[in-house]
Amino acid sequence: MFAELGHYALVLAFVLAAVQAGVGYWGATRGDGRLMSIAPSAALMQLLFIGFAFAVLVRAYVTSDFSLLNVVENSHSAKPLVFKIAGTWGNHEGSMLLWVLILALFGASVAAFGANLPQKLKTLVLSVQGLIAAAFLLFVILTSNPFTRILPAPFEGNDLNPLLQDIGLAIHPPLLYLGYVGCSIAFAFAVAALIDGRIDAAWARWVRPWTLAAWLFLTAGIAMGSYWAYYELGWGGWWFWDPVENASFMPWLAATALLHSALVMEKRDALKIWTILLAILTFSLSLLGTFLVRSGVLTSVHAFASDPTRGVFILALLVFFIGGSLALFALRAPALAPGGIFAPISREGALVLNNMLLTAACATVLVGTLYPLALEALTGRLISVGPPFFNLTFGPLMIPLLLLVPFGPLLAWKRGDVYAAGQRLVFAFGAAILAALAAAALTGARGVLAILGIGLAAWLVAGALTEPAFRAKLFQAPLGDSLRRAYGFPRSVWGTMFAHLGLGVALFGIVASTAWQTETVAAMRPGGESIQVAGRTVVLDSILPRNGPNYSETVARFAVTDAGGRQIFLEPAKRVYAVRGTPTTESDIATIGFSQLYFSVGDILMDGTTTVRIYWKPLVTLIWIGPLFMILGGLLSLSDRRLRVGAPRRTRAAVVPAE
Amino acid sequence: MLQWLIMAVLTAAASIALLLPLYRNRAAGANAGAEAAIYRDQLRELDREVERGVIGPAEADAARTEIGRRLLRAADAAAPAREPASDQRRTLAAGLALVLVPVAAVGFYVAVGTPGAPDQPLAARLQVDNALGDIDAMVAMVEAHLASNPDDGEGWEVIAPVYSAAGRPNEAARAWANAIRILGSSAERETGLGSALTDINGGIVTEEARQAFERGLALDPTAIGPRFYLALGLGQEGRNEEAAAAWRALLADAPAEGAPWVPLAQAQLAMVDPTAPPPEIPAEQLQMIEGMVASLAEQLRQQPNNPEGWVMLIRSYNVLDRDAEALTALADAKAALAADPQQIANLDTLARELGLAVN
Amino acid sequence: MAMTRKQRRLTLIAAAGAVLVVAVGLLLFAMSNRLTFFQSPSDIVALAPPPTDRIRLGGMVEEGTVVKDPDGTVRFSVTDFSATIPVVYHGLVPDLFAEGKGVVTEGHVGADGIFAADTVLARHDENYMPPEVARSMENAPSLPPAGAAPLASATP
Repeated sequence: MFAELGHYALVLAFVLAAVQAGVGYWGATRGDGRLMSIAPSAALMQLLFIGFAFAVLVRAYVTSDFSLLNVVENSHSAKPLVFKIAGTWGNHEGSMLLWVLILALFGASVAAFGANLPQKLKTLVLSVQGLIAAAFLLFVILTSNPFTRILPAPFEGNDLNPLLQDIGLAIHPPLLYLGYVGCSIAFAFAVAALIDGRIDAAWARWVRPWTLAAWLFLTAGIAMGSYWAYYELGWGGWWFWDPVENASFMPWLAATALLHSALVMEKRDALKIWTILLAILTFSLSLLGTFLVRSGVLTSVHAFASDPTRGVFILALLVFFIGGSLALFALRAPALAPGGIFAPISREGALVLNNMLLTAACATVLVGTLYPLALEALTGRLISVGPPFFNLTFGPLMIPLLLLVPFGPLLAWKRGDVYAAGQRLVFAFGAAILAALAAAALTGARGVLAILGIGLAAWLVAGALTEPAFRAKLFQAPLGDSLRRAYGFPRSVWGTMFAHLGLGVALFGIVASTAWQTETVAAMRPGGESIQVAGRTVVLDSILPRNGPNYSETVARFAVTDAGGRQIFLEPAKRVYAVRGTPTTESDIATIGFSQLYFSVGDILMDGTTTVRIYWKPLVTLIWIGPLFMILGGLLSLSDRRLRVGAPRRTRAAVVPAE
Repeated sequence: MLQWLIMAVLTAAASIALLLPLYRNRAAGANAGAEAAIYRDQLRELDREVERGVIGPAEADAARTEIGRRLLRAADAAAPAREPASDQRRTLAAGLALVLVPVAAVGFYVAVGTPGAPDQPLAARLQVDNALGDIDAMVAMVEAHLASNPDDGEGWEVIAPVYSAAGRPNEAARAWANAIRILGSSAERETGLGSALTDINGGIVTEEARQAFERGLALDPTAIGPRFYLALGLGQEGRNEEAAAAWRALLADAPAEGAPWVPLAQAQLAMVDPTAPPPEIPAEQLQMIEGMVASLAEQLRQQPNNPEGWVMLIRSYNVLDRDAEALTALADAKAALAADPQQIANLDTLARELGLAVN
Repeated sequence: MAMTRKQRRLTLIAAAGAVLVVAVGLLLFAMSNRLTFFQSPSDIVALAPPPTDRIRLGGMVEEGTVVKDPDGTVRFSVTDFSATIPVVYHGLVPDLFAEGKGVVTEGHVGADGIFAADTVLARHDENYMPPEVARSMENAPSLPPAGAAPLASATP
């Protein structure tokens, strides 16, 4: 009965979303306050119903209710509880339900926390959100319904793809979705502003924190997905320029640009039209990402969802939302009043340049992702666009951006002084030279590009530290004075510092692990000869069978001894999941400082002989520590006092209109 | 019934949530001052920025002018022209909430849902009362038990033959392997494993299976199962003499009262050694078989359009050494199936195979 | 630094134009040089691409051709049932790499006609066949042997 109630709640949520979109728009265009007040109510109820439906589906997974087709196809009674729960969104139907749940969550947040928004703007935003929700709920109900029943019910399910039975992947899609769908808020605000024909001051105040939140989730989701690919796929690669990865990377690039342009708009009321366009593009890229992943249009590594009817439906949604919003933009944008003025060399100018480079980089990724599809559709020729393409197009656009990052925060608003900023960055430049020299000395000057890369990374890190140091007059005023000044900084200053610092840290990891990684492939047997990897001695200690809850594995136990005689054991394995009989490779990783030893084994023969692939990846963990800094920076920025002020305090009762 | 009741409650909640704000009188234009407050805040922020040196004093003045201008504009627009709330629109919206929402939701649900279908959590379905008599449910019960107690060797041993009988040799092999791992090797378990492996490979005794049978034989040299399969394997490898010897040794150990495998072994022996006597069928079995053949013949006389039946009949006569009747049956079959050249060709092939004279 | 509004705007447009030119230039250059072409074994036999071309070769791993040397070198043949190309690869093959299964390899055709792969990709679950493989199998002039039929039917 619960399953059916969940299904009904989903249908009810669709009806509510349609009402929210229709009556909201009607009320807003008529200026009828009573009609407009329906929208927040509908948004909150919609969250309640979709939340209920989602809970019902989770319950069905936990209790192994095989009368639901979706549970049969993606679960198994022997699966550990945590993966039963994660299995709810580890498949197409469940993940789309999660998608609309998150959409409803954001819509309800606007309804609940948007008390300081002008009612008309708020209603229009909710109306746009309602339209998106209604469209996607319809998609879920008609083409991807997780509540489809199968009667009589089988007694066992088909298991979850073992590749997906991983805690990293259990968290990765929800994070990405929070990011993707979070972009819908900025989109809804942009479309609302276009419908309304004016941009309130509240607009930027709202768009920036929501974009920041979406950006945080995207950053975390992409970093986690990358780490998952790194340790689970057994290739030791962390970024493949796979179309599905690009699908999440493009919204990230656009959201990064949007963050920076929204900053200009919020502080200086400039770049309005551009920011609106960027808000539309960011969500369009999120939708495109959803389309690419969910339609099966690219059968890539992540090819676990493909169905052409769904593809056509999503494509229609894509055309409707992207085409509709861009048409609206073309019609209404010229009417928006221009904002504050600034000199080309200024904080604003730097942010504009940042935006140009980021969008250009995003465009190259877009071209590289869609070009093979277009070429195949038009000429039938099959090509693949891989790392060589992206390294050549994306890379060169990133280099000037990274070189310029430290300058931005040092330039004054409206009119800046490059020469003065340069003088302040002398220390950072020195640090970059030193780092490059140190790298050259340590590696015997192998790889000029990599050494320059290390210099660039050091430049970013030192440059990020320069701004607060300079503003606090560190080493120029007494220390106590500097600390007092630093204490008075708004948190966003620290946010900027950590985010830019994280970029440098990640670059350290990327350059070092790419340029100086070593790869050793050897056939080894227990008690056989040892090999040398990165100054360490590796022997195959033993081969042992082991049984897990729903798999059995053969573990190859390696002993690694370093020059100081310290010994660690690594246990990569070949695993077979009972139900599907699918073999998987379980790599094992030892973290030594910031570097990692990565072990992966091939088939293990009867006599214990196996082929092992050992990577030494210097500083590789920095690739993911960098994003952690960025997330920290984003959180600091998000907690900034200034993003909360600006509205008169209102009585508590009025804040939450419904319930 | 309960489902519809709860659905009604959910629908009512949705309708009421839409109706309430419509009929609640709220202060309109409460946000009039919001915009001005933001600009005032920006002005204060500007002072702090000058102090930190993020903006030059001259530019700050320019910015102040810009913000001031916007502040004035916001103050002008603070009282937006608003149409009076219309009661007509309210009634229309209320009607929407009260009628359209329930009708649309229920209608849509009935079209896509499965009203009344109960939940079927696995644990409840595996309650003994419910599962009794349903072989699938019982297998599922044991599987569920083994999933949580993968080291229960007896459990694996119980379920392994069930898998074999159900034609799931992969699972059977895994179950036997688990039983061996936990309980240790025994002739019976090794034979089970070996025969499951043989089944997986469509009846071919593979190297892996052969090793299992040999382990079983080592544990119990008198066991029939492993010897049977090993002999079969020898025959499949084309080592006919060794196979014939193995079959003879096996038949020599057959119990006096006969055993179900004896005719099979004799048939296999006849295949590897043409000089061996044809399978010897005990009298009562022979009688039974002849009874079955007779009834098949009778059946075919009444419903002759049954190619499989004819093939079976001809083969049976041949095995029983009644070639004359086989030939008659062949002719009858050809007459009955004359309309289908494909079947006629099949019958000719069969006749050649069995060495029946073809006219 | 006193610029008129118009000059400021021109500066911005010039900067945007420069970025655009660079981006388009990079794209065009990369498209002419850095694309990997998917080819089936038949294509390679017909076109005989030079060793400088980076090629993505897709097809089925031919039954009975996989040889794993002790030093980690793997040799096998990739077939589309009308032509067959020998492949050599040094390293670990993915989990789902197996005879009679779909595979995509990337690398170069050597002077000796052997395809030296630096990357081997297999399907990621049993329902997945690289789309290029599915395509080239459909176009293969002769029908695949019976053993390959279940895989061919996995074509999306």
